[in-house]
Amino acid sequence: MSELLEEAVLVGRARRPAGGWRDAIRVACDPLVEREAVSEHYPQRCIEMVEEHGPYIVLAPGIALAHARPEDGALRLAVAATTLTEPVAFGHEDNDPVDLVFAFGSPDRDQHVGLLSALATALLGGLADRLRAAEDDEALQAALAEVGDGG
Amino acid sequence: MSRPDPLKVLTVCGVGMGSSLMLRMTAEDVLKRMEVPAKVEATDVSSARGMQADVIIGQGMHTEAFEGRAPVVVGISNFMDKDGLQQQLTEAFEAQGWLEPQP
Repeated sequence: MSELLEEAVLVGRARRPAGGWRDAIRVACDPLVEREAVSEHYPQRCIEMVEEHGPYIVLAPGIALAHARPEDGALRLAVAATTLTEPVAFGHEDNDPVDLVFAFGSPDRDQHVGLLSALATALLGGLADRLRAAEDDEALQAALAEVGDGG
Repeated sequence: MSRPDPLKVLTVCGVGMGSSLMLRMTAEDVLKRMEVPAKVEATDVSSARGMQADVIIGQGMHTEAFEGRAPVVVGISNFMDKDGLQQQLTEAFEAQGWLEPQP
């Protein structure tokens, strides 16, 4: 595992309610705000990215990856995973509805490559199903840990 | 037309550091499977407008704007669907004559 991955904040929340996609992004960003991995206005910037560029952050069926730019308040390399009690629509033609929302932040444009690469590898290996099966935060956190181990 | 070697491939998304990066990894893997030498770069939609590329890959909502601006433009919706991307690239490359033996 690289040093950067070792220092990355990885945090999971299971089965949270969300009223619509904007709220889902806020809920997904909450643990990163709490850990001071992103600033308080970062979630709003993530929402604006979707308003400006469309729901492209929904990158596979049921899975969204919310993020904004480093300069939008990303303070530490971090990723949070949150499953929703009820799926929400992002307005994506093929991949709605979404029940698993990742939020990530990277303080610069290079640091996150290893982390996202590890996340992509884990997702291709069935991570989404393991996160969805987690009934509480502890179980989800344990499932998410493989991202940090697998880099 | 002979296939550029390596192919210059852009994966695009709104910000250029989230989904385009995920897509880059998928594209690199698929192109390796197809045994097509390629250099894949992830970028945001507005930067991509000023760049030259042989292949542009992104979500359909973003690639529409690039139709006609590169020889191959492919819109996908699921970055985890490697087989789907391989099929789309194979069809598009065949149409370009890129899968024939290269001189």
